[in-house]
Amino acid sequence: MRTPLLISLLAALLASCSEHSVAPNQPVRILWAHDPENLDPLVLPNPNASDANNLLHLSLLQVDYSTQRHAPALADSLPRVRLSGDSLTLITYRLRPAATWDDGRPVLARDVDATLKLMQGPGLPNEDARAQFSFIREFRPDPTDPRRFTLVCQGQAPEFAQASGDFFILPEASFDPQGSLRAYRLAALVDRPATAPPDSVLAAVARRYNQADPGQHPERISGCGPYTLARWEKDHRLQFRRKPHWWADALRPAPFVLRAQPRQLDFVVIPNEANATLALRRGTVDVYPQVPVREFRRLQASAAARQQLAFYTSLSYDVVTAGFNTRRPALADRLTRQALSLLFDAHALLRATQQGMGQRTVGLVRPTDARNYADSLPLLSYNTGRAAALLRRAGWHRLGTEPTAGWARPGPGSAPQRLALLVRYRAGETAFETIGLQFRAAAARLGIAVELRPTETGSFTPALHAGDFDLYIRLLKGNPFIFNFAPILHSRAVGEGNLTGFGTPASDRLIEAVAAAASPVLKARLLRKFQVMMREEMPLVPLFFRPNCLVANRRLSHLYPGGLKPGYAAAAITWVTPAVAAAP
Amino acid sequence: MLAVWALASLVFLLSRWGPPSDESLGLSNAADLNVGTPAAPSARRQMRREALLRQGLAAPLFYFSRVADGSGARPVRWHWNGRRNQYHRWLGAVLRGNLGTSFRNGRPVAGRLGAALACTVPLTGAAAALALAIALALAAGLARRPWWRRPALALLAALQALPLFVLATGLLLLLANPDALNWFPTYDQADAGNGPAPLGFYLALPLLCLVLSALPELTLQLEAALAHELRAGYAVTARAKGLSIKQLIRSHALRNALLPVLPLIADLLPALVAGAVVVEVVFSLPGMGRLLAEAAAARDYPVLVGGVLLVGAARLLALLLADAGARWLDPRVL
Repeated sequence: MRTPLLISLLAALLASCSEHSVAPNQPVRILWAHDPENLDPLVLPNPNASDANNLLHLSLLQVDYSTQRHAPALADSLPRVRLSGDSLTLITYRLRPAATWDDGRPVLARDVDATLKLMQGPGLPNEDARAQFSFIREFRPDPTDPRRFTLVCQGQAPEFAQASGDFFILPEASFDPQGSLRAYRLAALVDRPATAPPDSVLAAVARRYNQADPGQHPERISGCGPYTLARWEKDHRLQFRRKPHWWADALRPAPFVLRAQPRQLDFVVIPNEANATLALRRGTVDVYPQVPVREFRRLQASAAARQQLAFYTSLSYDVVTAGFNTRRPALADRLTRQALSLLFDAHALLRATQQGMGQRTVGLVRPTDARNYADSLPLLSYNTGRAAALLRRAGWHRLGTEPTAGWARPGPGSAPQRLALLVRYRAGETAFETIGLQFRAAAARLGIAVELRPTETGSFTPALHAGDFDLYIRLLKGNPFIFNFAPILHSRAVGEGNLTGFGTPASDRLIEAVAAAASPVLKARLLRKFQVMMREEMPLVPLFFRPNCLVANRRLSHLYPGGLKPGYAAAAITWVTPAVAAAP
Repeated sequence: MLAVWALASLVFLLSRWGPPSDESLGLSNAADLNVGTPAAPSARRQMRREALLRQGLAAPLFYFSRVADGSGARPVRWHWNGRRNQYHRWLGAVLRGNLGTSFRNGRPVAGRLGAALACTVPLTGAAAALALAIALALAAGLARRPWWRRPALALLAALQALPLFVLATGLLLLLANPDALNWFPTYDQADAGNGPAPLGFYLALPLLCLVLSALPELTLQLEAALAHELRAGYAVTARAKGLSIKQLIRSHALRNALLPVLPLIADLLPALVAGAVVVEVVFSLPGMGRLLAEAAAARDYPVLVGGVLLVGAARLLALLLADAGARWLDPRVL
């Protein structure tokens, strides 16, 4: 009895130790730090949910990771954009004639119409989509072509061309088989107040959609994307299987955004970094995106890992930023903010927190964007002496000669202003903690008291919204497509996304002009002017752009690593045969 | 029961005291630039109101609330909200057995807790049983004062001093690492499926970790209690009558020595339900500890309050069992 048991145990042990052989059509296994939680295409609560939905559904336009631009996906070409009067934009799309749902029915303009109305309907978890797409006011079908339609957009902004095509198209038949939403005007739904009396038709659509529970059962609102969700073990693994007969397979040449190479994509949820790295080293996971820089460097230093893995880095669109609360009297003037910005040693911080990867910046535009980046501005340099001089110019004076003596200046009333800072950052973020400590040490050299207050995730954003801080350190997430800084720096956004409370008539005008600039040349000129103005006003101190690190099995190709999240093109990945892999 | 209700009510009220963050309402962060077309601030405010309404968070929190007076000149006024408040609804639902739905994914809380318990309880249960069995055997052995007593006690003390995080990470990096000893599988190799059975061999390392973390305290306490009992008059009499030390421990001393250790054993039950947070996070197990830790981090209050209720109930049960156990071991206990 004992010998067979021992032999089987030994065999299991040896099997677990052995090298894994690779077949060209084997699944590609990608690592995720978190479960996507909810796969409802209306909700998309996190980036993993968006990535999963990109496999199940298609939008009119999708990001082409080979060019890092939007490209037509369900639309057969980029839309035609016309301006109407001085307040409307008309955007015309045509759907690909080959596009079909899984049951063979064609994807038609009425599906787009129904999806837009679903995004604006009451009783659905669509608040985010609702606010984001409320600029689309009207859907005009083309009477001569069931696949052509025009979206009438309120306002005139260059980003409408991309943004109007960036939502997943859902099949009308799955949530409104009677087509009852067609009787409603889109504008009426957009303007419908929350207090409006209940509408039985809209309630029935909402009930049907909610009962389908697409957040947990995405197969019930089946999309026209290349994959279906085969298994979903919560907090453990998601398995996407390629549709054997997908409509886009017949397209020649196959557009990049409609490529779907792996027969199967497995997403393995491993929240622990050590566990994740071990899985990669053992060859049981093939792609590890957004690797923490320390793990990335550690793997890169290992000769065994280098033989097995390929390493990719690119510059992300996320910039580590410090922001001043300009509503505080002590921080209301630009000279004080300029002085304090000189206390950040961005060069050393980049080395300490990002192992030298990433890139310093003069503003919120990525330094690799040669056209728009204000390269005439010098990088901020750490200089306590100049900071002290600027503080004196701002009216501050030392209260004594001892090193801990603070700074003060006469206030508007009888009470003098004191310079002491409360710095908030998200607790548990070691990079932000390092930045805070460096700033505090530099401030201490000038005798400025700095209190660091790491704040729990749930309280951090409400504290910033409430203005309960002097300086914050956070990651500002950006994108390569749209330059609209109104949500974070326009005076109208104070109390919402404008956490610094900054805003002057001149800066508001410039931000609006940047957002409205239609020609690339004009946009570049205004963006450079904007960066110079922000350097002068200094409501924010952009320290550096973070790197995006990706580690993958050496035998994978066509990953298209890039700064745009998730940092790779999952559906384009292919296995290469050993002969090809060995070639230089 | 009163204590469990008070605790859960307190967590419920405290968790909903302040305004919910946009993230917990499922809304994008307004202070980021990664949204396609940023919504106007007025549209965002409207969107937040609608999300609050849909999730039932727009109603007053409790039966009465304080009326804000901007000037601060007038005395504080209180307003009676009646039964149309969040707490009343929550309590009514809990009494009907409905713990609500998770903010994060809209799934029923009971289902989430059930799935997590299915992973946690067999693991922690097996770990507790193993730790107890080994502790009993080890303490009985140590009480006989063998030559290995001192090194064993030193080893147990060292194990007790080792933080669980270090122990778990150390075991993982030592025993499941292709650069060290590649003896155990990593999480991704475990078969998919809920509960412990599909995870199979992968659970060996977390189990070992949990046993090693629980063992020292149990053994050291039991060994000290046994040593105390062996010095008692009845033990000396029994030895004088010719009983071997082994028989003495098994038949007389162990039962008495278990009494002071009983609260420690009872403490294992709520830990069984709450899961071992550190072990579940390090080994990426989808159990209760990880669920509650992530729910707390993401402010998923329905899950958090459900977890508190469950753990509170388990602690209550543990106390009742400890009382019953004490009565069984020593009939003099009333």
